[in-house]
Amino acid sequence: MKKVLGGLLLIGLLITGCSAPEDKKNNKASESSETIKEAQEQEKEVKSSSTELTPPEGLKLKADTEGIVPTTIEIPSLKINTEIEKVGRLDNGQMGVPKGMDTVGWFSDGVKPGSPGNAVMAGHVDSKSGPAVFYKLEDLEDGDEVIVKDQDGKTLTFEVTDKEKYNRKTAPVDKIFDYSYGSKLNLITCTGNFNRDEGTHEERLVIYTELKAAE
Amino acid sequence: MKMKKALLAVPLSVSLLIPTFTVANAHGHENHSKGPMSAEVSNPAIDLRASLDTLLSEHAFLAVVAMQKGIDGKEDFEAAAGQLNQNTEALSKAVGSVYGEEAGAQFKEIWSSHIGYFVDYVTATAENNEEGRKQALAELDKYRVTQADFLDKATEGRLKAADLEEGLKVHVDQLIWAFESYRTGDYDKAYDNISEAMHHMFMTGKGLSWAITDQFPDKFENKSVDTPAADLRADLNSVFSAHAALAALTMQKGIDGAKDFEAAAAELNENTDDITAAVESVYGAEGAAQFKEIWSSHIGYFVDYVTATAEQNEEGKKQAVAELDEYRMEQAKFLDTATEGRLKAADLEEGLKVHVDQLLAAFNSYTSKDYPDAYKNISEAYAHMFGVGQSLSGAIVDQFPDKFAGQKPSDMPKTGMGGMSQSTNDAILWSLFGLILASATTAMILRRKATNHS
Repeated sequence: MKKVLGGLLLIGLLITGCSAPEDKKNNKASESSETIKEAQEQEKEVKSSSTELTPPEGLKLKADTEGIVPTTIEIPSLKINTEIEKVGRLDNGQMGVPKGMDTVGWFSDGVKPGSPGNAVMAGHVDSKSGPAVFYKLEDLEDGDEVIVKDQDGKTLTFEVTDKEKYNRKTAPVDKIFDYSYGSKLNLITCTGNFNRDEGTHEERLVIYTELKAAE
Repeated sequence: MKMKKALLAVPLSVSLLIPTFTVANAHGHENHSKGPMSAEVSNPAIDLRASLDTLLSEHAFLAVVAMQKGIDGKEDFEAAAGQLNQNTEALSKAVGSVYGEEAGAQFKEIWSSHIGYFVDYVTATAENNEEGRKQALAELDKYRVTQADFLDKATEGRLKAADLEEGLKVHVDQLIWAFESYRTGDYDKAYDNISEAMHHMFMTGKGLSWAITDQFPDKFENKSVDTPAADLRADLNSVFSAHAALAALTMQKGIDGAKDFEAAAAELNENTDDITAAVESVYGAEGAAQFKEIWSSHIGYFVDYVTATAEQNEEGKKQAVAELDEYRMEQAKFLDTATEGRLKAADLEEGLKVHVDQLLAAFNSYTSKDYPDAYKNISEAYAHMFGVGQSLSGAIVDQFPDKFAGQKPSDMPKTGMGGMSQSTNDAILWSLFGLILASATTAMILRRKATNHS
């Protein structure tokens, strides 16, 4: 810290020293024009120095944290390439689900993919009669890619980092929908046995993914 | 790097950081909130977020000012740099109160180093030393790695080094670019970058406070920093604090007759537009137009004060102060009405008096060359605005609770209908039923097809 302060003081002195105006000479007319000339020369010097120096390149002036409104999702390893529906929060507190069996629902009241935090998407594992879009979600492995695009084709690629199965009643919902500094995308589907009385599977599968750094 | 696991020191962070907001309470907002917890603008977690936002964004502002003053060889350079160091001190204390003194000291060393490299960059620029500038940038690159590593370890991976390095790159680059634009006379760009640089730190503040509250939930009453109400408070904090910062700097540039005065004033006006947009989103276009007129008037009176000072016109100064007094009443009345009495005109007048007096004091200290006092006042004026943000967001959230209700699901989605799954009971029967259903559907489809064909 002392060193820093010392440095700060030093530069203060240095700079003050070299650019102090010579205003005391101003009373004498003969010298005043000279002063102006000097001042002009000084200005020239400053200007030329600023053009001589090369401004640094490759600066990143804005964080890419706007995120996108996703319209399609692609998971190459599972040969999934489908459209995204917006879903919300149901009156009973559940995350909504897509109407289609082959589409994926994005929780659009929450985080946008590419923004800091956990964006969440859900897809059905099965319909009443057969497999649905996320039937094979369980097969995803660490490193597999999940690609989402917005309507203008802006593309974000996420990478699988983890997968967990939870009891549907004790799943860490707060965590799955929480803020985070990095951009994440969590995919949810059902798994485990189907409880006919409750009309739902006993477990939920969550695939955790993180945004890959732009290449 | 040893992080203390026993975090007895955490409660200190609260006591340490709260003084920032005593001003806010004084002109204050009573807590009207009776609604759900998610709609509160103040709790230990959200307060931590606001405190970190204050310190981090003020760092960005002071760094830019110090760099400008440095390259210009201005007399107030030392005081600006001194205030920047005090900010580092406060930030390090906050870190120390969470992660222990040792970590706080480590943080301070790392954080101070990057300020040092900025100074190196300015010095090298002043000396026309291209090599020195490159060297400083290279050091800043190394700093990013060290700083990111420190925070990754401290937060036990909640903040990832790779993400942090990105975030720090933006911070460093914004400051460098604000400086480069300034020295080459591209003042509009310079001031755009100042605003961006300050605003960027609010994201850092959210990230850091999120990590800390996630790491020590019981120290923060298990509250979240990520609620719509907390975001509103942060958004208002951001625009109001930028107002104070830009106003103080613009007044300095005005009295100095500096070349960047107009760009600074233009940025201040853009900030007024930002605040107006925020007001409009809550109170509609008509209210916003009214607000803008009143708000802009007080900036005008500050300009009058600066002009009168430049002309050594005591009468003009008095006149400007009288106008500011009237402004306070009008502004207070507006906000009292808009918030339906949640913010009381009398309290608001008091709060606005503090704001006006701090800016005038900062300016008067500057013109009388008492620079440390000038920057002390600027710092206080800056922190004061976070109280304004808290009060106003509190009133708005109380007034429109529906807009700020918790919006996250409390339960997992129901993403299956069982067609491909084992049932927990009567599995066979169920699949039989499924089969019947399936064949029935098939039959129906076939029939429909037949009908279509006919």
